[in-house]
Amino acid sequence: MTPNTTDEPPAVRLEGITKRFGDVTANDGVDFTLERGSVHALLGENGSGKTTLMSVLYGLYDQDEGTIHVDGEPKTFGTPRDAMDEGVGMIHQHFQLVPPMTVLQNIILGQEPTENGLVHEDGARGRIEEICSRYGFDIDEYLDTPVADLDLGVQQRVEIVKSLYRGAEVLILDEPTAVLTPQEVDGLIDVMNDLREDGRSLIFITHKLDEALAVADDITVLRDGEAIGTVSAAETTEQDLARMMVGREVVFDRLEREETDGEPALGAEGLRVRGDRGQEQVSGVDFTVREGEILGIAGVQGNGQSELVEAVTGLRGVEDGTITFGGEDITDTSRRERIESGIAYIPEDRQTEGLVQDYSLVRNALLGNQTIEPFASGGFLDWGEVRSHAEEIVEAYDVQPPDAENEAGSLSGGNQQKFIVGREIEHEPDVMVASHPTRGVDIGAIEFIHNRLVDLRDRGLAVLVVSSKLEEIQTLADRIAVMYEGEFIDVVDPDDVTEEDLGLLMAGQTLEDGPAEVEP
Amino acid sequence: MSAPDADSGGGSDPRFVERAAARMLDASVLERIAIAAGAVASALLIGLIVVGLAGYDPFGFAGDLLIGAFGSVGALARTLRFATLFILTGVAVAIAFRAGVFNIGVQGQFIVGGITGVMSIIWAAPYLPTGPLGGFLLIVVGSLAAIVLGGLYAALPGVLKAYGGANEIITTIMLNFVATGVVGWLVAGAFGAEGATATRTERIPDYVSFPSVVFSSPDFSMIAFALMLAVVAVVAVVMTRTSFGYDMVTSGHQESAAGYSGVDAKRMIVSSMTFSGMVAGLTGAVFVIMIQGYYTDPTGVGNYGFDAIAISLLAANNPVGVVPAGLLFGALESAGSYITIRTDVPVQLIDGIVGLVVLFVSVPELFRAFAKRTGLGGEER
Repeated sequence: MTPNTTDEPPAVRLEGITKRFGDVTANDGVDFTLERGSVHALLGENGSGKTTLMSVLYGLYDQDEGTIHVDGEPKTFGTPRDAMDEGVGMIHQHFQLVPPMTVLQNIILGQEPTENGLVHEDGARGRIEEICSRYGFDIDEYLDTPVADLDLGVQQRVEIVKSLYRGAEVLILDEPTAVLTPQEVDGLIDVMNDLREDGRSLIFITHKLDEALAVADDITVLRDGEAIGTVSAAETTEQDLARMMVGREVVFDRLEREETDGEPALGAEGLRVRGDRGQEQVSGVDFTVREGEILGIAGVQGNGQSELVEAVTGLRGVEDGTITFGGEDITDTSRRERIESGIAYIPEDRQTEGLVQDYSLVRNALLGNQTIEPFASGGFLDWGEVRSHAEEIVEAYDVQPPDAENEAGSLSGGNQQKFIVGREIEHEPDVMVASHPTRGVDIGAIEFIHNRLVDLRDRGLAVLVVSSKLEEIQTLADRIAVMYEGEFIDVVDPDDVTEEDLGLLMAGQTLEDGPAEVEP
Repeated sequence: MSAPDADSGGGSDPRFVERAAARMLDASVLERIAIAAGAVASALLIGLIVVGLAGYDPFGFAGDLLIGAFGSVGALARTLRFATLFILTGVAVAIAFRAGVFNIGVQGQFIVGGITGVMSIIWAAPYLPTGPLGGFLLIVVGSLAAIVLGGLYAALPGVLKAYGGANEIITTIMLNFVATGVVGWLVAGAFGAEGATATRTERIPDYVSFPSVVFSSPDFSMIAFALMLAVVAVVAVVMTRTSFGYDMVTSGHQESAAGYSGVDAKRMIVSSMTFSGMVAGLTGAVFVIMIQGYYTDPTGVGNYGFDAIAISLLAANNPVGVVPAGLLFGALESAGSYITIRTDVPVQLIDGIVGLVVLFVSVPELFRAFAKRTGLGGEER
């Protein structure tokens, strides 16, 4: 990207954008500048506020603070249509196409050329063909094919043509590569390069480092709703970006580590798991967690950790391979059997999985315990036991405000998390699986939760921790497995690696003369 | 009669609207009752105005409503008879709705339960003694058979949804037509009574009936009413005090959290549909044993299964709340039949008032949706 030396204002400038949902701040004073004729990657983990920021720009949300400038002019977009009128188009992760309608009908939908009050489809044909030939799109041959018959890569190009047809000068692409095969990703990158050469400005939302580096001129990293920094793609590396994404807000003293020769408690062999869209997300993973140790799984989000954890805890079916617990094959047992046999799970998503938002904490204390004594016997519940259990958790885990009758949804994220951690630990499990146990939790609570997990380890439990925060993994884990594209790329001893090493591994590279591998 | 909170006072003050919206968004049980009462009162008021505009005497009409519903022992028995069936079918709907599945097929399951009750009693009667003991045993046989068949008939759309992805609203509506058609065909053919002038089955034996106990009405029995209350109590206990009920209600609230807690979502869809259909089937048996004594073409057995949806809605899908809601609908139905016979006010006006009640009850829901969209009365999310 050549620096913008002319007097032309940037295509888009966002200043101090803050967007809150209730007491959650999704964007906190974010500045962002998109230079004309450039590709600007917006990089960050899921939940870091990328899509929220772009939804503000696209008129889907009103910001609480901050201003939007397009071509140097301050603008307010009440609806996406306002944004489109100013030449801002967005291609969503889930395409906004009508499957039974043809490509042509989809492109003109909402802006149909009419003749005597009737839709005149052929009037649009010429312009669409012109757009296609200009960017080398192949979709002009599909103009009369229903969208449902096209594969996802072509559908995405239809979306792009639709935006161009509406005169978009600025295109926002929300995780456009998530649904594509590697070949289709290459095709998309070509398209993005062509659009840039033609003078359009693109915002590319992604959490994949290599793609951001391959196509972008500038990269802005978001973390926990804040813009961590903007770097030029030519002057940065994958490690730097990984470190910026994952962050290290708090530096903890490394907790006491122990060598264990405990029995193997939880393990997997040749595990293969498919994701929600049917693609393979875990591609042959082996591991063993012994009693009295914490195995940390590090990795940039989306590399199969979630699917791995769901397979281990019984929430997702396994394509191939086996899962063992206490020497027994549990691959085909149900989620409930696994809970009852002593596998506790702190879920990745406390809002939708870990708590029923409009239940009181008392009722939430039963979640997962509803078939376990003393809370249930013979199919009947003992609410007295459940209530005192809930009150114990609130007390022992310092849940604020300290009233078990409060609805779960009224608590802050950190207090919700403390309640879940308390409930799962008080299950008296044999194995604890914790997925992002401190996400969105304040510093005091992070330390508290870490200490509880280490206590469990010291009491001889096997603990599996998944996190994308490097310092969390380094603080807690006795061994670190780094996951990349569905595989354990390496298993390392935390004392033998630096954060830089881990960042490199998380970006999919191997340590050439790095530390000796530890037994997985 | 008091108007509901949101209707009183000036709506022009935005702070008032905001406060009302906030209150509506987190309505407690008491406030829900107030909303329901306000809705009913408003519906009756508008209904009376319409009656007046149509050229009838609204005060006379109001009086007839009361007399028709409660004015005599016979009217009271009729009200309770309708209420018994409304409450049972209402509970059937509420079970499914609370579990997050939409069983619009209670009418069909009610029909299947009814014909099953009649035919199983007729078939089993020769093998059991006559008299009170035989009557009791046959009631048990007929009810159990109706529960089983009603449950199976509801399990079918449950299986189709859980394992085939079929929308249960569409399949249950469709299965209502199937039940009506097939049962009508059976009653006209294979199950038809020989020598009967009308299309109907044989009668069940005279000794198979609920003793009327308090009211000397042939069509209403306090035993059946008590049975209905027992069903409400059992359903309420299952929902609030058992592991299964917790699984079911949690699935309705937040399916992903239920899955996390070990609920098998597919099996839960089938179980809750079956549970709902069992109650609907039992209602069919109560209908034939208490009222009809035989089965006719199902187009003529009444729309209990459809009215039940409105009743469950009025009760916010709470099985205990279904009792007052069902009593109200029973009273309106009873008053309607009285007014049709005794006055020249068309019965459609009664149906219109029932419609208004449903409309007003659903207003808070519309209001919630509106408040969420505009951001009034609380943050989204």
